Amino acid sequence: MRILTAASRRGIETPYVQAEPCGHEHKVTLRMEVNQRQLGQLSRDWYAIVDVMDVHPAIAMQAIGEQTRTARTIPATTPHPPAPAVSSSDPVGQQALA
Amino acid sequence: MRKGSQIVLECLRAEGVDLVFGYPGGAIMPLYDALAGSGVRHILTRHEQGAVFAAEGYARVTGKVGVAMATSGPGATNLVTGIADAKMDSVPLVCLTGQVRSALIGSDAFQETDVFGLTLSMTKWSRLVKSIQEIPEVIAEGFHWAQSGRPGPVVIDIPTDMLKASIEFSGPVTFRAHARPADAKAEPAFTDTVIALLQQAKKPVVLVGAGAKLSGAIPELRQLLDQLNLPTFATVHGLGAVEPELPYYLGMVGMHGTRAANMALHETDLLLVFGARLDDRVTGDPSRFAPDAKIVHFEIDPGQLDRVRPCQLPVIGDLAETVPAFQTELRRASLPDFSGWRAAACGPERAELDPRGLAQPTIRLLDELFSRLPENSVIVADVGQHQMWAAQRYHSSSPRGFITSGGLGAMGFALPAAIGIQLAKPETTVLCVSGDGGIQMNIQELATIRRLGLPIKTVIIDNKYLGMVRQWQQLFYKRNYAETDLSDNPDFVEIAKAYRIPGFRLNEDAMREYPVARETGDQLDRFLTSTEPELLVFDCHPEANVYPMVPAGAALSEMLFEEE
Repeated sequence: MRILTAASRRGIETPYVQAEPCGHEHKVTLRMEVNQRQLGQLSRDWYAIVDVMDVHPAIAMQAIGEQTRTARTIPATTPHPPAPAVSSSDPVGQQALA
Repeated sequence: MRKGSQIVLECLRAEGVDLVFGYPGGAIMPLYDALAGSGVRHILTRHEQGAVFAAEGYARVTGKVGVAMATSGPGATNLVTGIADAKMDSVPLVCLTGQVRSALIGSDAFQETDVFGLTLSMTKWSRLVKSIQEIPEVIAEGFHWAQSGRPGPVVIDIPTDMLKASIEFSGPVTFRAHARPADAKAEPAFTDTVIALLQQAKKPVVLVGAGAKLSGAIPELRQLLDQLNLPTFATVHGLGAVEPELPYYLGMVGMHGTRAANMALHETDLLLVFGARLDDRVTGDPSRFAPDAKIVHFEIDPGQLDRVRPCQLPVIGDLAETVPAFQTELRRASLPDFSGWRAAACGPERAELDPRGLAQPTIRLLDELFSRLPENSVIVADVGQHQMWAAQRYHSSSPRGFITSGGLGAMGFALPAAIGIQLAKPETTVLCVSGDGGIQMNIQELATIRRLGLPIKTVIIDNKYLGMVRQWQQLFYKRNYAETDLSDNPDFVEIAKAYRIPGFRLNEDAMREYPVARETGDQLDRFLTSTEPELLVFDCHPEANVYPMVPAGAALSEMLFEEE
């Protein structure tokens, strides 16, 4: 339920919600129209829910010439959770120093 | 056999709870019935909001979980502001609410509200108890989440039939959380990167927030700050974490922060944040917040990273672990000479904080009171102009010595919070600073103070306006003082007298002399040292303003120092 309130507090419609068992946990899939900023905010709010194990944002892309939408996982720009600092030779460290 | 109500209380005792704040009613009556002899002391406030703020005060000053209880329906809805407040300010809080009988849930029964549903977005965790058997697990899990990681509020809603029913009870249980795959923490080698960033920097600064206190890492952080010797400032909840007399400390930052702190933050090229969530009152316009800075964010809650501005280096983890790790490596590192930058940033504060001087007598009163307080006293401020004046004038190194509703800004917080603080610290002087607006939101708690004989000292800064709103109306709404006039305030001294609490009034003239007249000084001394509750009403100029002020949506460098 807390997953949904993260969207409703921002007035974001959630036309599709599916919850299914996934091992000992549940996998919840939501579909909604959001911008990059909202995606970051939602990911952070979802991750802050104590019994959410992980968050995987995916983006729905309108493929040229296709009627259907296909989903792909956002690669390096996944907004949350961020990679923690490791060392100056690590990619996160190198990016910070750049 | 044990009743559900007895199980609840035994589980509370197992969590170390010996004090709860609440207000009885129909659905929670079985729990009240079991209180006697349970080892849990109950404090009856005169409103449920008073109970939850008192529980917050207790939690904020001790770091332990505060517990509030109320009945279903209106009892529970009256807790909601306190729950939201605890969420914003990371306060460990457990609220126990009675619910209508399980069979009636969803039937719009008398005093039924969907407490679980209406508090979902403002709790860290919550449960509607569905069987008496799960009570021990639910309470153990609720207490775990309330105080683990970034603390926060928990709601446990218990149908009245489960409080009445009985089962065989084998004792309280403990809860162990599963590790989350994505709960990554900073590796010790993160220190290389922070040191490399410091070596690149020309104008580094340090921002300290509430996380410094919550982590319990104040001694380590203070040592680290001494090692860094960089311009340093604090959020309103970070006040007291840094010793204020240190030459590199610039005071409070943000909307009513010091000029020096705000300018240093605006000019910096490297911002080290320790346990602050960078909310809009601290950043001003996020797009112009520390525009040239790289940000290193030491934070326990990954959910707070990148919220306002992306940080270049997230250091995820408890400050109690990351600060000592950084400290150790910093000893071996060689940093550039920042003395020129430090001298420029830490120059003399602009003296004329309020050129018209209308706030000066009030500021003077606060200075006179604060300077008379014994060490380790606690100041609890309500919300509004007096809150910001008090924060600006707070110069103590007591980490939990300044308590206020910062994130939510809930008027009416201070008086009941003072009750929780005084009960937690019976030997401590507790000074409650409120306004004429805020005090009337929970003034009924004077009855609680009187009944308990708590020696809380309450100061009402009475400007006969909703002062902060009026200030905004003056500055940004062409002096259209719409519905902020409180010129027909009651006589607060007489009200206190009705509660059998002595009170007296001082006017601005008493604070114009320097030093203050001997009689006035004696009055203040007696006020602060008496063993009884007492009220002081101070007549503040109706148009006194809090300066500096960063207008909403402006950059920190765009502070106002007077009406333009």
